[in-house]
Amino acid sequence: MVDSHFDGALAFTIAQSTRQAGLGASASGSDFDTQWDILRSALREIHEKNASKLSFEQLYRASYKIVLKKQGEMLYDRVKEYEEQWFGSEVMPKIGKLITKNLTNVTLGGVPGTTANERRITGEQFLKGLKATWEDHITCMNMTTDVLMYMDRVYCQDNRKASIFTTSMGLFREHILRSKAAASNCITFDILNYVILDMIHMERDGDVIDRNLIRSCVYMLEGLYESDDENETEKLYLTVFEPEFIRTSNEFYFNECEKLLRESDAGTWLRQTRKRLAEEAARCQTTVSQLTDFKIAKVVEDQMITLHLNDFLAMEGSGLKAMIENDRFEDLTILYQLLTKVDKSQEALKIALQARVVDLGREINKSISETNFAIAQPKDDDAAAEGADKPKAQTLTAAAQATAAAIKWVDEVLQLKDKFDNMWETCFEEDRIIQTALTLSFSEFINAEPRCSEYVSLFIDENLKRGIKGKTEAEVDAVLDKAITLIRYIQDKDMFERYYKKHLTRRLLLGKSESSDVEKQMVSRMKQEVGNYFTSKIEGMFKDMSTSTDLTNDYRQHIQGLGEVDRKQIDLTVNILTSNYWPSEALGGGKPEENGIRQDCQWPSEIRSLQDSFTSFYLKSRNGRKLTWLGYLGHADVKCHFPKIPGKESSKERRYDLNVPTYGLIILLLFNDLPEGSYLSFEDIQEKTQIPTMDLSKALTSIAVLPKARVLRKDPMNKEIAKPGDRFYFNEAFVSKTTKIKAPVMAGSSNKVEGDEERKATEDKNDEHRGNTIDLCVVRTMKARKELTHQNLFAEVIAQLSSRFKPDVGMMKKRVESLIEREYMERVENASVPTYRYMA
Amino acid sequence: MATPSQSKYVTLVSNDGFEFVVLREAACVSGVIKRSLDPKSGFAESAAGRVTFDEINGIVLEKVAEYFNYNHKNRNREDVPDMEIPPELCLELLMAADFLDT
Repeated sequence: MVDSHFDGALAFTIAQSTRQAGLGASASGSDFDTQWDILRSALREIHEKNASKLSFEQLYRASYKIVLKKQGEMLYDRVKEYEEQWFGSEVMPKIGKLITKNLTNVTLGGVPGTTANERRITGEQFLKGLKATWEDHITCMNMTTDVLMYMDRVYCQDNRKASIFTTSMGLFREHILRSKAAASNCITFDILNYVILDMIHMERDGDVIDRNLIRSCVYMLEGLYESDDENETEKLYLTVFEPEFIRTSNEFYFNECEKLLRESDAGTWLRQTRKRLAEEAARCQTTVSQLTDFKIAKVVEDQMITLHLNDFLAMEGSGLKAMIENDRFEDLTILYQLLTKVDKSQEALKIALQARVVDLGREINKSISETNFAIAQPKDDDAAAEGADKPKAQTLTAAAQATAAAIKWVDEVLQLKDKFDNMWETCFEEDRIIQTALTLSFSEFINAEPRCSEYVSLFIDENLKRGIKGKTEAEVDAVLDKAITLIRYIQDKDMFERYYKKHLTRRLLLGKSESSDVEKQMVSRMKQEVGNYFTSKIEGMFKDMSTSTDLTNDYRQHIQGLGEVDRKQIDLTVNILTSNYWPSEALGGGKPEENGIRQDCQWPSEIRSLQDSFTSFYLKSRNGRKLTWLGYLGHADVKCHFPKIPGKESSKERRYDLNVPTYGLIILLLFNDLPEGSYLSFEDIQEKTQIPTMDLSKALTSIAVLPKARVLRKDPMNKEIAKPGDRFYFNEAFVSKTTKIKAPVMAGSSNKVEGDEERKATEDKNDEHRGNTIDLCVVRTMKARKELTHQNLFAEVIAQLSSRFKPDVGMMKKRVESLIEREYMERVENASVPTYRYMA
Repeated sequence: MATPSQSKYVTLVSNDGFEFVVLREAACVSGVIKRSLDPKSGFAESAAGRVTFDEINGIVLEKVAEYFNYNHKNRNREDVPDMEIPPELCLELLMAADFLDT
C-alpha cells in the first residue's frame, strides 16, 4: 500500500500529524520514559516467558511512538544495554555452573582421568544448557524484534544500523560464547568445540551420542557470525568450529589408516574406508552441517585413500594382485568407486592394472616359449640321430604340439582379456581411461611375443577349419570378435597379413575352410578394423576362387559342346590364381631349385593334352596371359586296378578310387607301363617327371610309406621319408576296406607353427617388403615436401606406417641411404640440421 | 500459518469499538498484525485472535479491512481495478498503513 520511496517523507508527515490528529499520546519530553518503562517491563516479561499477558499492539505502539519522536537511537541503546545486563545477571551464572572443572580441564588437554561415559554426561549437560540458553535467546529476540519492528524498519534502516536482532546475536556471541568461564581462562566457545568434537570422536569409535543435541548446537553456530555484517562466509561455524573439526578428523583418520595398514588387509581397508565415507556423509546430514560435507569427505579421502593407496594396492595376499587373481570383484568395485572420488584419471589404479596385465601376459609368453623350447629339444635330437630308426611321427607331433601351443597361447590371451573385460564391466563402470590403459598393456605384452602375428593367424585358421563346426551363428560371431580384438592389438599388421594370407591359401586350395561365409565375414571385419589396403589382396584371393569355379564350369560346358565325349576324358577343375594376390611362399611346395628357376615337371601326355585344351580355351577370351601349372598344389582322383594276389584264394580283383596329389598321379602313371616285378628308383622317377626333389619325396611318401594308401612298395621297407636311392615297386598286395581312399597329405600342407628356418625366411621376406614400403613412403613424403629435416622425415614416415607396422629406425636409415644412392633425393649441404631434398 | 486450533478469521477492533472480522491470511499482509498473532511469540493477541488498535478509528479500519479483502481476492491476478479511496481519508490511511507495515 505504501511505497518505500515515501518512507522518509512519510515519517515527517506523520510526525507533524501526530500533534494535530492526536494519533497516539500527546507529545512531551517525559514521554520517552513512560514508553520505555512499558517496554522494559515487557522485555522482562518476555525473557521470563510471560508474554501471553502482553498486548503486542500496545508494545508496538510504544516503540512506534518513540521512533516517531526521533528517539530511536535511545531506544536501540537501551534495549542493547538491557540485553547485556540480562546476560550478565541471568544467563552467565547458569552457563558457568555447567562448565565444571572437569570440562575445562579436558578442554585444556590435561587430566585424562575421566572415562568416556563421564565425559559424555558432563558434555551433554553442557550442550543441553547451552542449547536451552540459545533457544531462549532466539525466542526472546524474535519477540523483541517483532515488538521493535517499527524501530528496525525506520530507525535502523535510516541510520544503517544492524537490526536489533543481529545486534543481539552479536551480544550473545560476545557475552556468552566468548566470555571466560569462571574457573579457568578458556572461553565457552572452546569448551563447546571440544565437547562436540569429543562426542563425534566417541561416535566414530562406535558409541551412541545425542546427534540432535549436537545438531542444535551446530545450528546455533551456523546462526552466528563473526561480525554484525552477517557475511555468509563468516559464520562462526565456518570460522571456528569447522577448521577444528577438520583438523581433528585429519588426525583421526591418519591414525586409523596407519592402524589398518599395520593390522589388516586391503579388503578390510576398502570396506572400512567406504564405511567411513558413508558415516561422514551421514554425520554431515544428521549431526554437523552440510556445509562440511565435501570438506570432510576430502579429509577421509586424503587420509584413508590417497596417502597409502600404493601401500594397500601392493599388499601381499590382499592387494590388487590378489583381487585380480581371485576375482574379488566386490573389492575391485569398491576400490574403483573410492578411487574415482580421489582421482578422476585413476592414475594409480591404471598403473597397477597395467603392471598386472603385463605380468600375466609375460607369464603366458613365458609358458609358450618354454613349450617351444621343450619341443625344439627333441627335434634337434632327431636331426642328430637321422638315419637311426627315429619315427618321424614324433616330429609331426612336435610340430602339432607347437601349433597347439600357439593356439593355447591365443586362448590364454583371450581368457585373460575376457577376465579383464569382465572386470572392467562389473567393477570399473566401463571407465574409458581404464579401457585404454588395459588395451595398451595388452598390446604391449602381445607384441612382446615375437610370433604373435603367426599365432593369431593360426588361431583363426584353426577356428575356420574346425572350430566353428556345429556352432551357432552367435558363437561364430564371438570367435570372430575375439580374433578381431587380437588383430587390433598386433603392431606388425603386415606380418599378420603375410601369415593370414599364407594360411588362407592353404585353406582355400585344399578345401579346408569350413564355411566361405565365415571366411568372408572375417575379411570384411578385418577390412573395417584395419583398412582397405590390408584386405584388398585377400579379397582378390576370394575373387580368384569364385572366378575359378565359374571358369571350370564354362570349360566343362565347352568340352561338352565339342561333342566328342571321350570316355577317357579327364574331368578338370582349375583354380586360376592371380600371382600377386597369392603369397608365393605358401604356394611353393618345395624350395626353388638352387638356380632359383622352378623347373616345370614333365607332365604325362594324358594330362598335357588336357592342359593344352584348357589353356587354349582360357586364352581364347583372355589374351596375353600366362598360365603356369602348379602341380604340387593339385590333387587327382585315380581309379586303380589291382590283380588277384597270387597264392591267396580268397583274394580277388580289386578296384579302388584313389585321391592323390597331382604329383602322385604322375608317378602312378609311370607304373602303368611297367612290367610286373620291376622297379623304378627315386632317381628314375625324378628324371622322367622332373618333379623337384622335395615335392617328389613328399608325393612318394604319401603313396609308398604311409600305410593308408600304400599302393607302391618302397625298398628298403621302413617308415622313413622317401629319398634318393630308394626303389619303388607296384604294390599288388594292397588291400583296403574302403573303395575310396584319400592319400594322406604330407606335413606342410596343413597350417602349423613355422620352424625356425621357415620363420626366418618369412621374416626376411617381410623385411624386404617393409623395405619397399618404407621406400615408397619416404619418396611420397619427400615428393610432397620437397625438403625435410631428418627428424621430421622419420617422424612423418613412422606416423604414416604405424597402422601397418613399427618401422625399425636402422632399416629406415638404410633405405634412405639407398634412396640417396639411387638419386631420389640428396642431402642438403651446409644445413644446420641434417636435411634431405627431393630430386625430381 | 493457520494451525487447526486457530480460527481462519481474526477480529480487528478500532478505537471507537467497531469490530471487523477478516480472513487471517488476508490480514497477515500487515507485518504488525502478522507478528501480533504469531503463536510462537504468544502475545495476548494471538491467544484471543483479536487485535485492538487504539490509534485507528472505525472509518479508517473499515477501509483497511476492505483493502485486506481486496488484496487477498486479487492476489493472483493482473490488471486489477484500483480500489476507491475517498480523498479525505488518504492521509489517515497512509498513517495507518505505515503503522501496520502494510
